[in-house]
Amino acid sequence: MFRLLSCIYALGFQIAINPALDRPVIGWALFAVLIAWSVACAVAYLQGFGRRPSWVLAEIVVVAALILSTELIASDQWAFDNQSWPTTLWATNATISAAIVSGPIVGMLAGVVVMVASTVVKGFFNFDLGRNATIVIELAVGLAVGMAAQTARRAHAELEQAARLAASHQERERLSRQVHDGAIQVLALVSRRGREIGGETAELAELAGEQERALRRLVSSTEIEPALGTTADIGAMLRQRASDRVSVSLPADPVLLDADVAKELYAAAANALDNVAAHAGPEAHAYVLVEDLGDSVTVSIRDDGIGIPDGRLVDAVGEGRIGVAKSIVGRMNWLGGSAKLNTGPGSGTEWELTLPRR
Amino acid sequence: MVVDDHPIWRDAVARDLEDDGFNVVATADGVAAARRRAAVVQPDVVLMDMRLSDGDGAQATGEVLAVSPSSRILVLSASDEREDVLEAVKAGATGYLVKSASKQELGAAVRATAEGRAVFTPGLAGLVLGEYRRIAQVRRTGPPGTSLPSLTERETEILRHVAKGLTAKQIATRLSLSHRTIENHVQATFRKLQVANRVELARYAIEHGLDKE
Repeated sequence: MFRLLSCIYALGFQIAINPALDRPVIGWALFAVLIAWSVACAVAYLQGFGRRPSWVLAEIVVVAALILSTELIASDQWAFDNQSWPTTLWATNATISAAIVSGPIVGMLAGVVVMVASTVVKGFFNFDLGRNATIVIELAVGLAVGMAAQTARRAHAELEQAARLAASHQERERLSRQVHDGAIQVLALVSRRGREIGGETAELAELAGEQERALRRLVSSTEIEPALGTTADIGAMLRQRASDRVSVSLPADPVLLDADVAKELYAAAANALDNVAAHAGPEAHAYVLVEDLGDSVTVSIRDDGIGIPDGRLVDAVGEGRIGVAKSIVGRMNWLGGSAKLNTGPGSGTEWELTLPRR
Repeated sequence: MVVDDHPIWRDAVARDLEDDGFNVVATADGVAAARRRAAVVQPDVVLMDMRLSDGDGAQATGEVLAVSPSSRILVLSASDEREDVLEAVKAGATGYLVKSASKQELGAAVRATAEGRAVFTPGLAGLVLGEYRRIAQVRRTGPPGTSLPSLTERETEILRHVAKGLTAKQIATRLSLSHRTIENHVQATFRKLQVANRVELARYAIEHGLDKE
């Protein structure tokens, strides 16, 4: 659109100045080149290949060449008194194209190239920016159009990604509903009936039960939203640790923390859970509770295992349990929070990790 | 009464309950059927699935209690303890059990529900705790003078113990209280949520002019 308007302006300028030129015929011939190039650019843009950097480079070269051709058709005095021949407005097309395709920096560079070409024609550079605002305009156009194009591109990319996420989320929801209504129900039923019948069937029932629980976890884990930018849901992260031996209790709403902080808190809790699996005994069950108190978040990890018996602390150091405990405390202190451990023979262990919100 | 949209599962549960000495007076596959039949048979206990053919268990819980207020609702769900279970408790359910529970556990839970006791899991306690904290936040930031419920210190302590996997008996020992007192405390937290839910619904209706229709 701008290209069309600038062509009309250039045509008007051409009609007005042609008599004043030294060689009017060449002037008209060059004007035909200008129009032909403009049409080519428009077609190239609509076809897509005009949006490639190489085409934009060609455009800058053609514009600079046309500006320099002023030398051929007009006297030095005319060039000095007037704007360069193909008109500054038309030349700005190159600046705009460069800015759209490659952003504000390249756009401004293209503006400089256009200006250098017209400066060469005039034979001097007018430092009076008040009178010769062309350089300022070229730079401003390059910068503004470049930034606008970048913003638009980024917004478009974000929109596309959001649409993709929404689509995949819907698909996961649909799958999870189907799995839930079909496979999970049947597996639950098989495991239940099988256990009642007993014998070998009970073994089958155990297998079906395992699969049922695994599927249920899978279905609920697919409902987790990916981390939203810089925050993450510590509840959803910990829910992935839920299993037959680990129960995870959460509030209904996501517990959002800064993503890096959430990662560290998760690591501390995971350490405690690994400790349970390694040391609390084969029958131990772990319970995780996440509480959002507004200005702080608490994660408790309790197990009903053997605990750390009194007087076994030295052994515990040897087994690496105290090392793990230290690393949990260290991590929480580093985050500006605290870690408390309660344990005793036969009463399991209980960690309470508290993290203030900043 | 057994409400579940999966026919094989529904019949299996009904048969188990009959074997266990219960009298299954009706079954239903959805919200509308549950409401119709509950109005007629007035069941003591309703076993409620969360996903139904024409709605969800929370909705069905509310509608059943509207036509049969003396019924007690025990949610039996294959879903993890998520928002929908909390919604059912807010609608008036007094118990929650996962479908992977054994026949014995199911029988015990139905008996407890019939006696007016709460049936709960660590996950449900975590949800209820979270809900009270959300309400506390609303009270702090919302308009003053609202009568939203809060937990007593004792109730908070007990819910936290339940959420961390301690049984009612273990909590009773720790706090030197009776087993029954612990259950009553948990039940009180459920009941207050139900009241809070009614208050919130009523306020929503007034704010949006729905009460004038």
